[in-house]
Amino acid sequence: MKDFKIAEPQTLEQVISLPAEEKDKFCLMAGGTDLLGEIKDEIISPEFIVDLKTIPGLSYIQKDKDGVKIGALTTVAELAENPLIKTDYPALHQAALALATPQLRNMGTVGGNLCQRPRCWYYRDPNMKCRKKGGSQCFASNGRNKYHAILGARICYIVHPSDLAPALISLDAEVTISSPKKEKTISLADFFTLPQVNVRKENILEPNEVLRELRIPQAKNGEKSTYLKFKERGTWDFAVVSAAVKGTVSGRAFKDIRITLGGVAPIPWRLKIAEDLIKGKKVTENLLRQAAGEALKEARPLKDNGYKKELIEVVLSRAVLSLM
Amino acid sequence: MSKREYFKDTEDATLLYYEEFKDKETILQQATPEPEKEIFKIVGQYTPRIDGEKIVTGQAPYTHDISLKGMLFGKILRSPHACAEVVSVDLSEAESLPGVKAALPLKKGRVNYAGEPVAAIAATDEKIAEEALRLIKVDYKPLPFAVTVEKAMEEGAPQVLEDRPNVPPKPFNDYSRGDIEKGFKEADFIIERTYKTAVEIHHTAETHGSVARWEGDRLTVWDSTQAIFSVRDGLARWLRVPASRVKVIKKYMGGGFGSKLGINDYTVIAAMLAREARKPVKLILSREENSICVGNRPSSLQTIKGGVKKDGTLTALYLKNYTSGGVGGGDRCAEPIIDVYKCPNMKVEEYTVYTNTGASRPTRAPGHVQGTFALEGFMEELAAEINVDPLELRKKNYSTKNLGDTGIPYSSKGLDKCYQMGAEKIGWHRRNKKPGQGNGKVRRGLGMASQIWWGTGRPGTLADIKIHPDGSVEAICGTQDLGTGTRTYMAVITAETLGLKPEDITVKIGSTEYPWCGSSGGSTTTPSVAPAIREAALKAVEWLKQLAASEMKIAPDAVIIDKGKFINKDNPEQAISFQDALRRQRREMVFHGECGGRSSDYAYNTFGVHFAEVEVDTETGQIKVLKVVTAHDSGRIMNRLTAESQVIGGVTQGISTALFEERVVDETTGNVVNRNLRDYKIATSMDIPEIIPLFVDIIEPRMNIMGTKGLGEPPRIPISGAIANAVFNAIGVPIREIPMTPDKVLEALKRKEG
Repeated sequence: MKDFKIAEPQTLEQVISLPAEEKDKFCLMAGGTDLLGEIKDEIISPEFIVDLKTIPGLSYIQKDKDGVKIGALTTVAELAENPLIKTDYPALHQAALALATPQLRNMGTVGGNLCQRPRCWYYRDPNMKCRKKGGSQCFASNGRNKYHAILGARICYIVHPSDLAPALISLDAEVTISSPKKEKTISLADFFTLPQVNVRKENILEPNEVLRELRIPQAKNGEKSTYLKFKERGTWDFAVVSAAVKGTVSGRAFKDIRITLGGVAPIPWRLKIAEDLIKGKKVTENLLRQAAGEALKEARPLKDNGYKKELIEVVLSRAVLSLM
Repeated sequence: MSKREYFKDTEDATLLYYEEFKDKETILQQATPEPEKEIFKIVGQYTPRIDGEKIVTGQAPYTHDISLKGMLFGKILRSPHACAEVVSVDLSEAESLPGVKAALPLKKGRVNYAGEPVAAIAATDEKIAEEALRLIKVDYKPLPFAVTVEKAMEEGAPQVLEDRPNVPPKPFNDYSRGDIEKGFKEADFIIERTYKTAVEIHHTAETHGSVARWEGDRLTVWDSTQAIFSVRDGLARWLRVPASRVKVIKKYMGGGFGSKLGINDYTVIAAMLAREARKPVKLILSREENSICVGNRPSSLQTIKGGVKKDGTLTALYLKNYTSGGVGGGDRCAEPIIDVYKCPNMKVEEYTVYTNTGASRPTRAPGHVQGTFALEGFMEELAAEINVDPLELRKKNYSTKNLGDTGIPYSSKGLDKCYQMGAEKIGWHRRNKKPGQGNGKVRRGLGMASQIWWGTGRPGTLADIKIHPDGSVEAICGTQDLGTGTRTYMAVITAETLGLKPEDITVKIGSTEYPWCGSSGGSTTTPSVAPAIREAALKAVEWLKQLAASEMKIAPDAVIIDKGKFINKDNPEQAISFQDALRRQRREMVFHGECGGRSSDYAYNTFGVHFAEVEVDTETGQIKVLKVVTAHDSGRIMNRLTAESQVIGGVTQGISTALFEERVVDETTGNVVNRNLRDYKIATSMDIPEIIPLFVDIIEPRMNIMGTKGLGEPPRIPISGAIANAVFNAIGVPIREIPMTPDKVLEALKRKEG
């Protein structure tokens, strides 16, 4: 690990006025649970770290007339314990609890969870210069790829590791970004970008932009949601496949439904095709398998990760059925 | 309790089995001497660790905690190539970095795995040492490599070691008995199955490391080791100094599992750097280094062909194994198949496959873990084939002599009792009579697997008891506590013998300045140290009784010793304290004990059985272990609390390798890709079910005066097989490969449908 300095800003303005062209020199840090690991492993070696935790007022969960606002520096543990989140947004509550370990949830933040870097073992190997690190090849595509992407990947086969992201996207969350230009609010689904757009990044953030807040619209009457995570071991494991489902049920059918998968694509993967097939129809296991099957027609498994297709079918069916 | 009572409330079939053997006067009566009456009060009870508080409050000094005045920090530069020619190593720039005090080139010629040491640095702090590593210029000429068994076995594959083929044509284990062809002819059923086990990494909680200090020509080394005397002798050899001038210290350790046996390169390097820099050097390896270059459990690819009669009698077993320990040797996996079951006709061929990966090291029950997984999986499939209860099949082929009943008798073998106790506790009758007979997406099943291991002690192990004039007592032995509770049972045995309490005893271990004891490997520590301590303590008692008798003016054999007092057996009113007995004593007294030898007329082994209950989600392929019951025959138990911990630890490790653990090597780059504890998955507390450890408590007087056998490795051996067999019982399709990850279970279920 190389030495670095720590900057302790007092305001967001100080952060967004950092020179974007010197992006290799600094990194923003929230909980640090991922960033410090990257620095220790020498995946990145910034000259200084900008500790966002010294800025007051970025940690909160507030209800207002439009829904709920969550400060980016709210810890995952605080999110998991919040009674409003638990009753109105079960998918988010469950995702928070399914994430990492109690120690990591105490340190990790909501914003940091969304901005964490991929866990691809080639990316995390300091000896390997893959595309994501400016190299010319993806080692995973022909290497050991049991945990890699089967959907949406072409030049880089990472999967997005966040548990909160699929839940938040299914809940139609928006994200507010402080930027040198002007603060902007966009749909969280538009926040994440595929490697094909820019292989070095997983989202639209510029180095001197800060994910400041999340907003989730008011839960509709009768709205239900759930997050189902399939991981290999009991805890401290990233999703092999996860599904966040939100919908309003009427009789045996969904009036509307949102399905977002985790662990299968370089970004949280919205299953629009499956949603359209399920919406308005009587939900049966058969229908769900069929919907998953349609959505998986675009899946491109690698040598070791074909089993994720089967897991997607099961996890999706179980998550949807649990809302009936 | 009569034997009748002992076996009551069990299944008819099992009871019948016992009755049948009882009539024939075999098993217990023949193979085991009558258990002697329990004479101990503290030994065998639940005694908390005497150093437990120190350990959990962070006061116990581990090697990582050692900090000396002026100490430097050592780091090793390792090859990033799986195979390369080291053309040159230029240390000049690194040496000129301020703070660098020593630099050593370590390699010329060929490196054969990614992680092989190339150069080393000692500097005033870790960061400077790391920076210096980056400044070392190594000119590598990369060469083709083979990091997987498949690749290494291909025709024309790159040759891993310069002096031998990747698969030496002569098997390293070539064993046969009887007539294998005749055996197959006699069989009513013959099946052949192939089993595969992955490379497992030890991943001790405390990573490997040493601290070395020279004072003139005298060397002191603090080392995280299972073998202080081997380290001392190894250092003396490598550094060409007399062993008398080398001292090795190991007070506390965070795990070894075989990876810390013998002398290690990093220890020698630390001592060389310290000599060069004329300063103490601390060299602690990282988690990443622990993943690639301090050993591993070799993989195995075992094919078993076996023949059985309709009634379950084994007629022939044939094992062929390809095992790979990287640039080190493979594991001898055949011992369980050779020994456990009565089988007159046998053939074994085992071959090593060399690959360009780090060298193997003994890993908690080397070979037996892999061999038992295959053998017990095979027995389970055989039982299904002939439609008998898998436990009955094992009993049917029960042996009382080693080499599958063709050798010498076991000194004691309580495996039948283990079967009985374990089956009863898990509720063996609840298993699916036909594998996979249940319905539903989530299926339950029960499985079992038997265990054999050695676990005898080392004759010649020395221990001292020192009695001070003030009555205080020391128990001293140059052994090392791997975390198993050695200190505590030394105190327990001493206290038991001298009529004191364990906390009264000062235990001294972990230094080569103490009486000699061998490595802590092979489950030998307890059966080596316990009898030596007992013998020394018995001598001390003799002397103490004489002293007390003369104070009390009675005959020495009228003195009994209890609760810190000497009591007149004929007049219990007359009693004096330890201090009173010693009041004329002006100097300390030392009594020497030694672990004695044993008759060669018997085979000495430990036995056991594990039963597992699992739940398998047939849609996701996920296995959940619900309950584990173990029953072990390890002779007399010294401390039931730490013995149970030992079993729980072994089972936990076994669950972890059955379900998760696998070193993953990338064929393109030759690197291990999961060099951390996130990607190399070890079971968490959430994956560990209720574990019920039982002991049969058969005292083993032929082996040593404490009647005890080892317990370090036995609980690690059968668990993966028991889980695999429970999975087979649940879903009706065997998983012949560990780890049994969901992708493999789904694959197997598809095979079943197909």
